[in-house]
Amino acid sequence: MTAAADLSRVAADTVDRLARAGSLKALLTPIAEVQASLGGQAARVTPSGALAAMPVAVKDNICTLEFTTSCGSRILEGYRSPFEATAIARLKAAGALIAGKTNCDEFAMGSSTEHSAYGRTHHPLDPERVPGGSSGGSAALVAAGAVPAALGSETGGSVRQPAAFCGVVGIKPTYGRVSRYGLVAFGSSLDQIGVFGGTVSDAARVLCAISGRDPLDATCEDRDALAQPAEPENLQGFVVGIPKEYFPPDLDPGVRRACDRALGLLKQLGASLREVSLPHTAYAIPTYYIIAPAEASSNLARYDGVRYGPRFDGAVDVRALYRNTRGQGFGPEVRRRILVGTYVLSSGYYDAYYRRAQRMRALIAQDFRSVFEHGVDLLFTPSTPSLPFKAGEKLADPVAMYLADIFTVTANLAGLPALTLPIGRVDGLPVGGQFIGPAFQEAEMLEAAFALERVVPATGDA
Amino acid sequence: MSVSRDEVQKIAQLAELHVDEAAWPALTEQMSRILDYVAQIAGVAATESEKPFIPGPAAVRFRADTVDPAPLALQPAQMAPAFREGFFLVPRLDAFEAPGEGTGEDAE
Amino acid sequence: MSVTTWETVIGLETHVQLRTRSKMFCGCSTAFGAPPNTNVCPVCLGLPGALPTVNGHAIQLAVRAALALNCQVQLRSIFARKNYFYPDLPKGYQISQYEEPLATEGTLAFTSPDRGRVTATIVRLHVEEDAGKSLHDRFAKATAVDLNRSGVPLAEIVTGPDFRSPSEARAYLLALKEVLEYADVSDCDLEKGSLRVDANLSVRRIGDSALGTKTEVKNINSFAFVEKALAVERDRQIAVLAGGGHIEQQTMLYDAKSNAVRPQRTKEESKDYRYFPEPDLPPLVVPEAWLTDERAALPELPAAKRERFVTRFGLPAQDAAVLVQSRAVADYFEAVVGAGAEAKPAANWVMGEALADANARGGALRVPADALARLIALVKEGAVSHQAGKRVFAALAEGGGDPRAIAGSLGLLLVADENALARWVEEVLAAHTAEVARYRAGEAKLLAFFVGQVMKVSKGKADPKLVPALLTERLGGEPAASSG
Ligand SMILES: [Mg+2]
Ligand SMILES: [Zn+2]
Repeated sequence: MTAAADLSRVAADTVDRLARAGSLKALLTPIAEVQASLGGQAARVTPSGALAAMPVAVKDNICTLEFTTSCGSRILEGYRSPFEATAIARLKAAGALIAGKTNCDEFAMGSSTEHSAYGRTHHPLDPERVPGGSSGGSAALVAAGAVPAALGSETGGSVRQPAAFCGVVGIKPTYGRVSRYGLVAFGSSLDQIGVFGGTVSDAARVLCAISGRDPLDATCEDRDALAQPAEPENLQGFVVGIPKEYFPPDLDPGVRRACDRALGLLKQLGASLREVSLPHTAYAIPTYYIIAPAEASSNLARYDGVRYGPRFDGAVDVRALYRNTRGQGFGPEVRRRILVGTYVLSSGYYDAYYRRAQRMRALIAQDFRSVFEHGVDLLFTPSTPSLPFKAGEKLADPVAMYLADIFTVTANLAGLPALTLPIGRVDGLPVGGQFIGPAFQEAEMLEAAFALERVVPATGDA
Repeated sequence: MSVSRDEVQKIAQLAELHVDEAAWPALTEQMSRILDYVAQIAGVAATESEKPFIPGPAAVRFRADTVDPAPLALQPAQMAPAFREGFFLVPRLDAFEAPGEGTGEDAE
Repeated sequence: MSVTTWETVIGLETHVQLRTRSKMFCGCSTAFGAPPNTNVCPVCLGLPGALPTVNGHAIQLAVRAALALNCQVQLRSIFARKNYFYPDLPKGYQISQYEEPLATEGTLAFTSPDRGRVTATIVRLHVEEDAGKSLHDRFAKATAVDLNRSGVPLAEIVTGPDFRSPSEARAYLLALKEVLEYADVSDCDLEKGSLRVDANLSVRRIGDSALGTKTEVKNINSFAFVEKALAVERDRQIAVLAGGGHIEQQTMLYDAKSNAVRPQRTKEESKDYRYFPEPDLPPLVVPEAWLTDERAALPELPAAKRERFVTRFGLPAQDAAVLVQSRAVADYFEAVVGAGAEAKPAANWVMGEALADANARGGALRVPADALARLIALVKEGAVSHQAGKRVFAALAEGGGDPRAIAGSLGLLLVADENALARWVEEVLAAHTAEVARYRAGEAKLLAFFVGQVMKVSKGKADPKLVPALLTERLGGEPAASSG
């Protein structure tokens, strides 16, 4: 079969798979539009790249020329970006097919994909439950086998938490490893594009393709693209730290059982385990929920109905135009976070909230540095404190929802690479185990994940 | 409750967000809950010497001063909700009016 | 109520556009006058997902400005976001600097019309981006927004409350403009908005040590209006206080058409800019080499140049001040001297003919410095008269060429030839026998009359330095007695 024929078969096959996953409400792009675009993309793609003919679904807060970029929000309904994200350009250059845009919590604010203006996404194993979030659409599509890999974004765990809930691999690279150019900003000092894969290998291949220096993003490090690491035979010589703060007494017993089993397997692979302490962990969520909303309140100021996007007016004056457009264009969670962020930056409160949170963030980052400086190569923790919860369960209490990110926000605050992979099931629902590594040590983290993936019964009861 | 409706209203004005009358009580309560929750970091002795942590490169890179605009696949006229003779349009402002924390015509 | 019982206290915030080709945070052109919204890109339109990158040359120019103003340049400074909503501010925030600016603690000495030499303190100098332009009169019911200016690099220069009168504030601004033009940092062109001024003004009774409540005066769009706008606001404040009222802390906008200030319609308590460090940009670390380079490349600044023109060239302070007002004129003067002209005549020619021509011709100094030097030499050696020299200058300005050749072709070279002069002298004496008789009778002052007549018959070509001696000789020496 010719390469071209091969590609169009992949395209058709992808459309079929996406259509079959339709009931998850994970894809925002109408299937016919995906079909039309994939036809065109397949005709243009050079089939020699590292990701040749790999369909990759993309979270709706990453700018694409092929599809609209709404960020799960009314305020960007129908918005077509006139430029594409660096990560998208690299995917295409590597031969990948952009397989549509996936549902997410509005502007990536949420942990359940319930806060999307376009409806909630269903968990692939239980439609009553949430797939996690905010990149829930990408996680669900990979879990359903509709695509081998997808892009998501992280600000406080928005790739790892849904990956863990859905039972797939999720990687959040070091801050500055992947260009943020074209990722719609939420919390700029925390945001990073991440990847989902059905396997560590697929996720790693996509990460390698999108990583590396980019003159368009001043916060992207001047480093070469990551190279796909080798899959090690064992983990001899690896020191894996077990931070005690990530195993609290109220940890879900099923999650604990799965983690204990995974730790046992790591030991069998030759790694030595060491209990460590990250003493400021308890302050991570409050720190995060000051810094992220503060940055968000500023990043979302540009949605004012002046230059792009719809206007919700009847506006008699500019102020009414702003207030109506923003009041009706943003959903309740985004509005809450904009208000919290505006509050913590406002005069009289800046020192008590924002400045203090900045200091706390430094202490949290210092916790990790001291552990890694003392011979620990990687940390292993549960990815989430509980199993996937029911839709609606945490909507009334925003703080309860925030706590779903308790084990993931720390890596964002400290700018570190982290990865989740499925390590078993409890009551038929996936449990994720997390590795956190030192900055720019993705290779070691991926090696450990390869080794564990090979031996862990990912879909077996824990 | 740690914040009053009045305070939240003032913040909403600063953020240029309209909130429906009916939504105020719940919103004020949620804001209070969130702000009370995050305020727990205030309990930790602030180490004054601790410098803020800034992720990413230690120093900004410089771009050469060359005219090289990133291309636009769509022009402003195709994106704007209101556009005329090359300009974005908004409801008329008085030159003396500052809608939010305004500055008159120029940057400050 | 008398102004003399009140003291005015003014501080200035000046925004100057840095002279770059591309914008502060994107590759768009800074060219003035392009069709609206054509010099725009994802970054300066504030599109979702776009990110800023820093124009190194803009930083270099800001460092140069800081050095020219004797500032302490901070090797590490921080970009910050200033958040506010306005239709011409695409991101809803301006990237600026706040807690940690690029430079602090500078000075600028200038001559106050009231107090002589005064040193203003530069509290801070920081870099930031400009907003777009809002046009309120373009359409009937809408404000039109043009984002070509959005993202243009600016340096903001903030003084202490150092000025005691509107005219003093203006004198500082002229000195600042001079320095920034000299350092080639900015065009400082008010018409293009490349220099803009906001002022903080308060008044207090003379003798009071505490500062009065200040207002901010904005929208001063021209040098001509600086003094007027500040005087209007000063008078308003004095009137309020003298009437027993108190000053409200607010922003006043100046309207040049009515020469009045009006309060900006905004609540002061809502002016909360929520500054915080810009998370899209790492710290601004100035390479130490830039400091060394910029310090070395810094041209002689106006104050030093004036001083040198007085001491080295022996020029009157007045001349030095005029010549130094523009770097181009000062450089031109030095080039004329460098080409061999004496300093004082060179200064006179530059301040007279050259500046008059330049002002009439949009600033161009059209006569090459070496040509002017040769013209000055011609006048000095007596080959042309000073009056004729001006005609030669005009011809040089129009068509260039060699001064002596031009003087020749225009018939302006003075005649020193004894025979030719003698012929003109004889002709004059023959035509005025009565005056010759009166001269000989003792009316010595008639010599000037004869000289004038010789110049007239020679059509200005007779060398006026030689004519008197020749006349005296032909008239038989000076009259013996002075009888009338
Ligand atoms: Mg400013
Ligand atoms: Zn631009």
